[in-house]
Amino acid sequence: MDFDVAVRLAVYRHFAETGTRPTVGAIATRVGAGVDAVRAAYGRLRGQRVLVLEPDGETIRMAPPFSGVPTPHTVTVAERSYFANCAWDAFGIAAAIGADAVAHSRCGQSGEPLTLAVGVAGPGPSDWLFHCPVPAARWWEDIVFT
Amino acid sequence: MLFFRSEERVREWCRARGVEPGPPVRLDQLWGLAVAWYANRLTPEARRPRPDEARAIFARLGLTDAFWNPQADRFGQQERHGAG
Repeated sequence: MDFDVAVRLAVYRHFAETGTRPTVGAIATRVGAGVDAVRAAYGRLRGQRVLVLEPDGETIRMAPPFSGVPTPHTVTVAERSYFANCAWDAFGIAAAIGADAVAHSRCGQSGEPLTLAVGVAGPGPSDWLFHCPVPAARWWEDIVFT
Repeated sequence: MLFFRSEERVREWCRARGVEPGPPVRLDQLWGLAVAWYANRLTPEARRPRPDEARAIFARLGLTDAFWNPQADRFGQQERHGAG
């Protein structure tokens, strides 16, 4: 398997199995390589928009749909909780894991809580809405804001 | 990218920030986006949709407003092998 693919899978599987971001050392152990090689792979994966890294180049801010930092959007699957980067990614975590999930978030304006069961076939009926203020062509100009 | 209780709440949010509202998206449409982007994310084959693929996904879900046109994003045209 291509090394960058192995690193990507290791990162995503760590998120899925733990709900937290991995250290570069944990990924190095998982793929059986040195931390320098993993850092270099992180740089390439950032270039491909697979990972969003903190300025240190090795701490994962985002591995979409997973967030490496706490956010207002959480997803619970069985007993494990995950932070999502945004509303879209909250559903994305449920889709990626492929199991019954519960998404927890809030109305972006009023703060009214949202708790929504998301099964393997999607959410049940709901009149809540999703809104993105940034046109699709500009999402990656500032992906943290988007 | 946030959830909102109603279109009025979307308008209030945008008005407070001086931005134009984008098209509201139903949650069944959002689920379609989530599946298209992320259902295979834990597999070796995972990659981001290219702009042309993204446009087709948006159209299939009824998101046909110009807001959803990703063609100005040149990422997929420069790196056809795509991302995760």
